[in-house]
Amino acid sequence: MAKDGPAPLERFINGILPENPVYRQLLGMCPTLAVTGNMKAAMTMSGAVLFVLFCANIITSLIRGLLKPHLRILVFTLTIATFVTIADRLLQAFLYDMSKELGPYVPLIIVNCIIICRCEVCASKQGVLTAASDAVGQSIGFTLALASIASVREILGTGTWFGLTLIPADVPAKVWSTWSVMILPPGAFIALGLLLGAANRIGEIRQGRRAAV
Amino acid sequence: MKDNYIVQAWLILALAVCFAAALSGIEIALADRIAENKRNETFGQIANLVRSPWWEPVPAQTWQADGKTEQWVTPEGHLAYKAFDKQGTDRGWVIKASGQGFADRIEILIGLDVPGETVLGLYVLDQKETPALGNRIKEETWRRKFVGRETSRDIVVSSASKMADNIANNSVQAITGATVSSKSVAAIVNAAVKDFRNRISDLKKKQ
Amino acid sequence: MDTITSLILIAVGAAVINNFVLHYFVGICPFIGVSRRVDMAFGMGCAVTFVISIAAFLSWTFTYFILRPGAPLTTLIVGRQVDLTILSYIIYIFVIASSVQFVEMYLRKFFPPLYKSFGVYLPLITTNCAILFACLEILKRVAVPTGAAAWGATGGAAIWGLGEAMALAIFGGVGFTLAIVIMAGIREELDHCDVPKSLRGAGITLLVAGILALAFMGFTGVDTGVKKLLVDREKPQSAEVKSTSPDKADNAGIRNPQSAIRLRQGYGGQVRNQVASP
Repeated sequence: MAKDGPAPLERFINGILPENPVYRQLLGMCPTLAVTGNMKAAMTMSGAVLFVLFCANIITSLIRGLLKPHLRILVFTLTIATFVTIADRLLQAFLYDMSKELGPYVPLIIVNCIIICRCEVCASKQGVLTAASDAVGQSIGFTLALASIASVREILGTGTWFGLTLIPADVPAKVWSTWSVMILPPGAFIALGLLLGAANRIGEIRQGRRAAV
Repeated sequence: MKDNYIVQAWLILALAVCFAAALSGIEIALADRIAENKRNETFGQIANLVRSPWWEPVPAQTWQADGKTEQWVTPEGHLAYKAFDKQGTDRGWVIKASGQGFADRIEILIGLDVPGETVLGLYVLDQKETPALGNRIKEETWRRKFVGRETSRDIVVSSASKMADNIANNSVQAITGATVSSKSVAAIVNAAVKDFRNRISDLKKKQ
Repeated sequence: MDTITSLILIAVGAAVINNFVLHYFVGICPFIGVSRRVDMAFGMGCAVTFVISIAAFLSWTFTYFILRPGAPLTTLIVGRQVDLTILSYIIYIFVIASSVQFVEMYLRKFFPPLYKSFGVYLPLITTNCAILFACLEILKRVAVPTGAAAWGATGGAAIWGLGEAMALAIFGGVGFTLAIVIMAGIREELDHCDVPKSLRGAGITLLVAGILALAFMGFTGVDTGVKKLLVDREKPQSAEVKSTSPDKADNAGIRNPQSAIRLRQGYGGQVRNQVASP
């Protein structure tokens, strides 16, 4: 068990909501805005990030004894780039349509601040088990964030969720017509901004309640 | 101090070698699958693209990707697929074309009859048009409008919805709210089939 | 369509129509983090443009000569055509890290106060998605499998040369600078406004960015107009009428070149004749 930092379980639970990578740490915005047009793409991206984060954290944790300050960022980047290439090829081989839809955003996982940050903060300092549970926790947090934004954008933008039609197409236009802007770039920014505000507000209320008690 | 740097250099070299080995393994294992995926994108559509008339359902076992589609090339390197049915009769050509759409490039497959005089089908491989508007060029109901258009004159985009008018004018009806995307696809088709008709006599079977 | 036209189209596309920040969502972290003051934002924009240009130059060189299927140097050394694109991401990230290192050393030597004002943000440019994105776009356009000629190709290089790659990179950086400076100007004004507590900082920045993105969406289709302007200018007396409007029943055959010259808009000083066909 690592004595020089939070325990594995703590890392795992922290990653989901208290230190959520998107809503609390404001990292990894690029894929959050780009792939949340529909749930399928968002879930594929979060799966890819889970794979890369998990493997990169484990490898970094295994060689943490050999890392010295000067070149550690280079080592992290090399590791992450390799696993992202592997993830990209796996997607192209087994989920070709999804790979075409995600496009350049899978290789952009290399410069996703979440992964470099976790390698720096946790994996390079603590044991393999802690690093692994940290990776899984942060990925679950990332998945929750992506799912929340993608649900909003997909339901408002096309009336579907995961491809299943929620709002039938024959609803008269006076009652409901899809907000196509939610699928476009402006909708991404606005959805993330409002959801971020909502998350902050919820955090404030809970803090207020805790202080009052 | 120097020791540190040498240890670091060895570490990076060792890591680089391990990762290169891993990547080579992945490449060897997956390259074939990826190439097949890319090929199936085109080959998977060929049966649909040379169906004539379009309302005929495609019989389940009519096509197989290998052996029933031949690749023909011009001396300059233009590739056309010649589609045959199970009896060995040639049914038509399929060519890939691309051009600028409203937002970004559009890539399409065009199915033509054997002399290259009629469009038999259209399939959109890649597009980044506006969702719910220009995006609708990939819908089958719109692509079907190209079936039967002649290649001897330009295909134009109009607002007419009567089939008789469209046949007479060699036109397709534009998508409501997506005129530019519709016109872009028509322009791409026109340029590609014109080029094809000019070069059809230069085509030789790829060995 | 000659080279200059295609370069202009790529430049306009990268800077304005498909703006890196507001359309492709790359470079969001500095966009939110550094856009509090206009001078800092402008400095960051210039630094990013500088790094993108160097990184694009190096990555184009590597991709064209070594990595792509059928690359000259690799074919020379190995003896047959190999496809080394699987190493492309690693090479690009190394190129970017080296470019940032180089820029850091350059600034520290020649512009020390500027270097100090950047602080920790300069090494962070390595994780700026915009630079890797530019390299990936170049990879997409350069690593085209050899031997596939396009039907009905209407001009523009099939494989991007160095000119096109640099146009994309430099003007992509210009577009990034444009977006971040506009955002900084707006945020300076927002400092005097009563923003709800939960939206302060990133929240309101994202909402304003959404409205900016809506505004920039208005530029879509500008490249068609620019292309018409530049390409039609090259052949003002052409007898070919390329029309896609519905009522052109006289599409077939050119009876009289004079009557066929029909310019729909006057291009500020060009021929203004509108001769109806007999």
